[in-house]
Amino acid sequence: MNLEKVIFGFFIVLAMTLNFGFFLGDIDNPHHHHVYELYAAIIVSLVATVLKFGDRTHVGAILLSTSLAADIQLIAAAILWAALSGKMDDASLTVYIVSLSGGALMANFVSVILLISETIGQRR
Amino acid sequence: MNSILFLILRRLRRPLILIIVCFSIAILGLSLMPGVDDNGQPWRLSIFEAFYLISYTATTIGFGEIPYAYSQAQRLWLTFSIYLTVIPWFYAIGKIITLLQDNALRQAITTERFARSVQNLKEPFYILCSYGESASVLAKTLDEKGMRVVVIESQQERLNELDLAETRSVIPHLCADAKLPENLIRAGVHHPFCSGVVTLTDNDEVNLAVAVAVKLMNPELPVLARAERDDIAANMASFGTDHIINPYTLFGEQLAMRVHAIGTYILHEWLTDVPGDTLPPPENPPRGRWVVCGYGRFGKSVVENLERENITTTIVEATPELTGCDHCIVGSGTEAHTLLEADITNAVGIVAGTDNDINNLSIVMTAYELNPKLFVVIRKNRRHNDTLFKQFNADITMQPTEIIAHECLAHMIAPLLAQFLTMVRTQSNSWANHLISELVAVVGETVPERWAISINESTTPAIVELLKNGISVSLHNLTQDPADRSKALNLVPLLLLRDNVPMLVPPIATGLRVGDQILFCGTADARSGLNISVNNSKALTYIVDGIEVPDSLVWRWVKGFLARK
Repeated sequence: MNLEKVIFGFFIVLAMTLNFGFFLGDIDNPHHHHVYELYAAIIVSLVATVLKFGDRTHVGAILLSTSLAADIQLIAAAILWAALSGKMDDASLTVYIVSLSGGALMANFVSVILLISETIGQRR
Repeated sequence: MNSILFLILRRLRRPLILIIVCFSIAILGLSLMPGVDDNGQPWRLSIFEAFYLISYTATTIGFGEIPYAYSQAQRLWLTFSIYLTVIPWFYAIGKIITLLQDNALRQAITTERFARSVQNLKEPFYILCSYGESASVLAKTLDEKGMRVVVIESQQERLNELDLAETRSVIPHLCADAKLPENLIRAGVHHPFCSGVVTLTDNDEVNLAVAVAVKLMNPELPVLARAERDDIAANMASFGTDHIINPYTLFGEQLAMRVHAIGTYILHEWLTDVPGDTLPPPENPPRGRWVVCGYGRFGKSVVENLERENITTTIVEATPELTGCDHCIVGSGTEAHTLLEADITNAVGIVAGTDNDINNLSIVMTAYELNPKLFVVIRKNRRHNDTLFKQFNADITMQPTEIIAHECLAHMIAPLLAQFLTMVRTQSNSWANHLISELVAVVGETVPERWAISINESTTPAIVELLKNGISVSLHNLTQDPADRSKALNLVPLLLLRDNVPMLVPPIATGLRVGDQILFCGTADARSGLNISVNNSKALTYIVDGIEVPDSLVWRWVKGFLARK
């Protein structure tokens, strides 16, 4: 049992679950997707990215790249939201944002699979 | 570059997480605080607005309360946010600045930069595993000859000297331990253009370690190593070190050569010195009884070589039990009574060979007063004592660093030259004198350039082309001027290597064959002239046949038309 490993795993899994929570719901219904959930997903995803810094192993590098992919899409979604809210109808804006977060969800999903496979590969 | 980036990222993990967490708390709280807009309606900052506000507050820019004046609740939270975010922000900036001044990081950056500049070398280069006195002479000469050099040295002060030195091309250098294989790899041991490794530190163990490491990593690569102890030299030889240089043995041999064959010696010196220098006429050491002060490695080599020439020696040594000499006069040689005991007044020569420059000077000055006709051989250990030694003007001044540098140059500039010199040593004195007069007649009194060419497709395309067409090219053709075939270039072929059989001073009428290697000596002009005739088949045809081959279509047609008529 290692506190560092617990925190590491916690943030990676939390990044995915928050992302999933935001993604869940009708793609064009703004009431199903709350802005604070996206906010939390971005913050947790950023923290997970920084936690992955500095690992020189191959798996470490792939983990970092999946996180970066998720960050870029989530931040793009947030920028769209901030820039376009009130300028176009809510339904189509929500479609843009939720589909971007869906892409981020895939990246987070890969990240979690890598984490699990690495854990299984460990003997202890 | 990769490792540096990861090093920075790893160190910045903690401050970055701290910033993200503090910002997220501040932004979240601010977007939840109730406020009132200019119409008195309830209003809240959106997450984006809160992010904008916290960003300019945390970085202490502070644009003020926009878009509306804030409520008490918002102000309260903002006050809290300022303390929450400004402190981690400065902590992170401080961390980045400390990181940039960090020695480990700086070392990583210089190492990386060194490795990259070595990787980018596009021409043959040598690796020098030290930058001491002999290595600096070597680096300077190689640089002047347009050859690239890479230096690894463990002492920063010596590298500072290199930093300040004026060089033709950039010399990549690294302050690191050459014994470590990773440093040798960074210096380019596996680089396709690396033409050899030279290790000349004054520590035999280091030289051995480098030689072994290089031979294991890249067995093809020539290694020149300095070794003063016989066991180390034997160890190096067993690993296939190509040239083992012992300055004391070399000097002993040269002294013996001077005694019995001054001509051979002059030839040797003339061909290994730095091109362009003029050599003073060397003194011929007298035969008779010599006094040798100091029976260390240098003294032993001198005594051994003198005795081989049937010259008797009297040894003066301060610590006979350490150096293991049986019949010697105990004393340092700096006092008159020790020298008188060695019967200096009836001796013909004195060798001051201790490892202390001031003692050596004192020995020869005392001896000179007792017997002004003495032939003086003095050992110079440190280059910065140059002025003192010039003042004294001994018959022979032996400087280990120069001997090492000359020997290395002979091997590095033209590998055939070393083979030539070995063969010269077995020739008679009169043969050498004859060759010298021949050389002086062609290239003059100054030290000539030495270079080798091999007859093959890539280096001498013109010769290969003519040979393929059945036109024979002789050595004589190579000595003709490509601008005017009746004139001769100022060069002399010294050695022809055909099927690994060397031919010393080959006759000028010898026909060339593909695969031959030829060693030339001559002026720099002659070298560039030769370069034209071996590369340009038109020039070579002119030299061989005296015919100017027309280049363009029209002239070829005109010439063919005239010939038919």
